[in-house]
Amino acid sequence: MTLPGRDAGEADALLTDRYLESLLAAGDRHAEDAPAEARLDDAVRAAATRLRRGLVRVHPSFRFEERLANRLNEAARSMRLAPAAGGEGSVAVRSIQPADPGDFDPLADPDSNDAVGRARPLLIGGALTSAAISLAGAAFVAWRRARPLRSPMARAARAAHAERPRRAD
Amino acid sequence: MPRPALGKVSGQGSARAGISHLDRDRSLVEAARRDPERFDALYRRYLAQVYSYAYYELGDHHDAEDATERTFLAALANLGRFEERARPADGDGASTFRVWLFRIARNVVANQRRERRRRPTAPLEAAAAVADPLDVERDAALRDDAAEAWRAVGRLPADRRRALVLRFVEEMSTAEIAGILGRSEGAVRVLIHRALRAIGRDLVRKAKPSEPGR
Repeated sequence: MTLPGRDAGEADALLTDRYLESLLAAGDRHAEDAPAEARLDDAVRAAATRLRRGLVRVHPSFRFEERLANRLNEAARSMRLAPAAGGEGSVAVRSIQPADPGDFDPLADPDSNDAVGRARPLLIGGALTSAAISLAGAAFVAWRRARPLRSPMARAARAAHAERPRRAD
Repeated sequence: MPRPALGKVSGQGSARAGISHLDRDRSLVEAARRDPERFDALYRRYLAQVYSYAYYELGDHHDAEDATERTFLAALANLGRFEERARPADGDGASTFRVWLFRIARNVVANQRRERRRRPTAPLEAAAAVADPLDVERDAALRDDAAEAWRAVGRLPADRRRALVLRFVEEMSTAEIAGILGRSEGAVRVLIHRALRAIGRDLVRKAKPSEPGR
């Protein structure tokens, strides 16, 4: 089985890539265009030169830059302080992160659907576990109080406990 | 065949194509790990790039600011998890701080888009005004170029648009883009080639009707 179409496509893509390298380098020298091989598709070349001129970097406002710088410094300071106080640095930073990122992992691959909700099972699991432990504890105490005590020792203790208020009278 | 052209050595002439296998941010990253307040240097170096990427992706000034903020806060909080892998032997897993940071930005933008349940709009004309106010005001042709480029790129599928923005706006190498998008270098080259061909044909089609008799 041959894949001539695929090979040709990859060869063209490689040609385009080389041209883009030289085009971007030409931009560093303030040149409008760069030499290209004759085999390069004219449409590709036209699009590349147009995008080179048109796609420019967008800068944020100075006010935003300084506001975020302050916020990062604040976060950095709390990261330094937290370990000194015996805590975890990451905990301090998480607390000042914007509203939602607790629910998604910024380092996960977004296409794998892991980015969203990867932390959630742990968080929910932790909450459920602690709630379940609390409920089980409350239920156990209630059960123990309601359950009739069968052992002689327990009966003696209960009788002694019941005696106490009468003596006080 | 040894891989990645991760750190481009910019300089004179053909030196641009030279390859450095060292992460140029290594010393800054190490300093920030020792003292988180030193993260500021990395922030200043990459703020405009991250913001620009977010702006092209989300098409809204406030959304871009939001995504930029989340990206840098996440990067600071997770700096300890960053591993430099910029040697040829690292192959497909190659990564520099810039690649890692843009991977975070990409995830943040994707998450933000999911939250707001909307496709990126094409606020193309607005972008031309923000892009480079001095130049654009001086030359209306430049503004037209920017608006037209925005329109053309805005019509592309997301993966092609993203690859073009990283290539043209951030001037990243194919290897860096591959690292950010989680694809092979060959796939990125084909993606960019096809995107340019589509835009080029579009431009040719539009140019044709006005040619005769004018």
